[in-house]
Amino acid sequence: MMDSQTLNILLVIFVTATVTISLRALPFLLFADEKKCPAVITYIGKVLSPAAIAMLAVYCLLAVYREQSFADGGFGIPELTAGAVVVLLHWWKRNPLLSIICGTALYMLIVQNFF
Amino acid sequence: MNRKKIISQAFSASLPVFMGYTAMGMAAGILLAGKIQRPDIVFWAFLSSLTSISGALQFAVVDWIGNHTPLLDVALLTLFLNMRYAMYGLPLLKKFKHAGFWKKSYLVWSLTDETFALEAASTITDKKADIRYCLFVAFFDHLYWVTGVTFGAVAGKFLPFSSQGIDFAMTALFLVVLTDQCREKRNRIPAVIGGLSAIAGRIFFSVDNMLIPAMVMMSAAFICLRKNLSRNFSAGETE
Repeated sequence: MMDSQTLNILLVIFVTATVTISLRALPFLLFADEKKCPAVITYIGKVLSPAAIAMLAVYCLLAVYREQSFADGGFGIPELTAGAVVVLLHWWKRNPLLSIICGTALYMLIVQNFF
Repeated sequence: MNRKKIISQAFSASLPVFMGYTAMGMAAGILLAGKIQRPDIVFWAFLSSLTSISGALQFAVVDWIGNHTPLLDVALLTLFLNMRYAMYGLPLLKKFKHAGFWKKSYLVWSLTDETFALEAASTITDKKADIRYCLFVAFFDHLYWVTGVTFGAVAGKFLPFSSQGIDFAMTALFLVVLTDQCREKRNRIPAVIGGLSAIAGRIFFSVDNMLIPAMVMMSAAFICLRKNLSRNFSAGETE
C-alpha cells in the first residue's frame, strides 16, 4: 500500500504534467486542419515568435532581481554589459556558440568578482 | 543533408541549453531533495522532470509537495504558470504538419521555452530534415533537463564548484535567437512590442507573475496593429 505522502507526490507530478502537456498540445488540436485556422490566428502565430522571444529575453534579464534588490545586483550593469556583448558579437560574427560562451563567461566574471 | 550532419547541427545548437538546463535543473533538484527528505526522492525528481520538462514549474512543485497544496490549486497554478506554452504551437503548426503521429507527439510534449526558440529559428528548408533536426534538438534539451534535475537531487546540498551566473547562458541564447530574427526587418516591430510588454509586465507585477500580463498586452497590441503589421508578413512571403 502506498502511504499518503507518496500518493500526494505521484498525484502532483501527474496533475502538473497533464496540464503542461495539454497546454502544449492545445494549438495542434484546435487547428489540426490548417485551412480552418482563422486568419487572425495565423497572423498572431507569425508575429508571436519574435515577440515571445523578446519577452523571454527581457524576462531572463530581469529574473536575477527576483531575490535581490536592484542595488545589490549592480543596477543591471552585469546583465546589460554581458547582454550587449552577446548581441553585438552575434550581429557581427553570426556564431551562436561563440556569442553565448563569451557573454556567459563575461557575466560570470562580473557577478563573481565585482558584485 | 545527411543524418549525421543534422544531429551534429542540433547538438551544437543545443549546447547553450545544456549550460542553462543543467545549472537550473540541478538547482531545482537540490531544492527538492533538501525540502522533501525521502530516500526515493531521486526517482520522483527524475519522473517529474521527465514528464513536465518545465523550469519554473519544477521549482513550484517543490513547494506544492512540501505544503500539501490541494490538487485543484496545483492544476490552476500550473495552468497560469505555463499558459504561454499554449501560444508556442502557433508558429510551429506548419512546420510540424507533416511529421507522423509519434514524432509530432514528442515534438509537442517537449516544447519548452528554449526548445521552442531553437525550433522556431531553424532555417533548414528541407521539410523532413527540419523535423529530424527539431526532434534531436528536443531530445537533447530533454536529456539535459532530466539529467540536471536528477543529478541535483542526488548531489543534494553539496556543490563542488562556483557556477554562479552560469544560467546567463539561457538569457544569451534568447538574445542570440532574437538578434537573428531581427536581421529580418518585418520581425523588428513585433520584437519591440514583445520586449516592451515584458517591461510593462514587470512594472506592474513580480518577476514570477509577469509573463501572462505581458502576453495579454502584446496580444492586444497585435490585434490593434493587425492592419499595419500583417502587410509586412503577406508581402514577399518566402514560406
